[in-house]
Amino acid sequence: MADESEVSRLVRASERGDEAAWNELVRRFAPLVMAVTRNYQLSTEDAQDVSQTVWLRLVEHLGSLREPAALPGWLATTTQRECVRVVQRGRRVQPVDPHSDGVLDQGTTVDPDDAIIRAELRQALRDGLAELPKRDQMLLQLRAADPPMAYEEISQLTGMPIGSIGPTLRRCLDRLRATSPVRAYLATLSADEGKGGGRRELAGVD
Amino acid sequence: MRGKGVGAVSLPGWTDDELLAELGEALREVPADDGVVRAAQAAFTWRTVDADIELLYLDADAELVPADALVRGAGPGALRTMAFHGERLSVEIEIDEAGIVGQLSPPQPGHVTLMTTDGPQGTVEADEVGCFTFPPPPAGSLRLDCRMGAERFITEWVTV
Repeated sequence: MADESEVSRLVRASERGDEAAWNELVRRFAPLVMAVTRNYQLSTEDAQDVSQTVWLRLVEHLGSLREPAALPGWLATTTQRECVRVVQRGRRVQPVDPHSDGVLDQGTTVDPDDAIIRAELRQALRDGLAELPKRDQMLLQLRAADPPMAYEEISQLTGMPIGSIGPTLRRCLDRLRATSPVRAYLATLSADEGKGGGRRELAGVD
Repeated sequence: MRGKGVGAVSLPGWTDDELLAELGEALREVPADDGVVRAAQAAFTWRTVDADIELLYLDADAELVPADALVRGAGPGALRTMAFHGERLSVEIEIDEAGIVGQLSPPQPGHVTLMTTDGPQGTVEADEVGCFTFPPPPAGSLRLDCRMGAERFITEWVTV
């Protein structure tokens, strides 16, 4: 549980004016914000403007985040809203055909709720992986590659007996599930219960 | 555009294979570029440390767009309405090609400054009924800084 407060610590430190903590927050979560904007087919400029607005707004909200560990959810939701606003305004760069409906054909292929949850999940997985021992990280990365590296090759690379790679991999995945970012992500999902909407349905059960 | 588990983001129930596949997708996602990160880090310089300044929150309801605006919308000439609320002051603005028209509520005179990440873009007077106007703002993030005598209110940032 100690690490679960790492985000909290960064939020609190940023609130007190610690710029290094802020920079670390941005470094961690900028991919999440940009991942959410990608669901809206914004121009690059618009996506960057949305990102900037979201971070500017977070600066003002550092003190009012009720639960700093819920920051990923706050960022994702705020980004989503700002994207919707920009979509409604229209695209800055692309010319608009007056005969086509500029709104209805946007982002119809992706359920935003699903996309946001997925973006948060991937962020949690990246953060969780970074917390594991280097050995675990390497094994998981080799097997998560596309295509995954064969056990024989992994054995040659690492000196692990082939027969032990499978069980070790399973333990690594369990450790990944148990990391604080992944647990915090799951806690956010449960915390959203009661708000209704797609999140709860997607959250599954423990 | 994605790996396994579409429509079922239920990590607790995932098999090892599903989790590995999602981890792979996560690691292959393009990270945010340096420019975006630097700009976001620079946002910290806009921290408002003065506790006497009241923050006016963007009203989520104001984002609802009437049906006719949707039909008309998303193009040149589209009108955007935003409302910011605080305990003692609200600000409503409309933005279109001609610029920004706004009103303070309750109606009162004051000074309103348009801020972007480049700094103040100009200050105008709100008249007796709280109305003020700005020329079209530059694209990007903006906020309004409202001063009534010794009192100061500042809106959340929005993208225009």
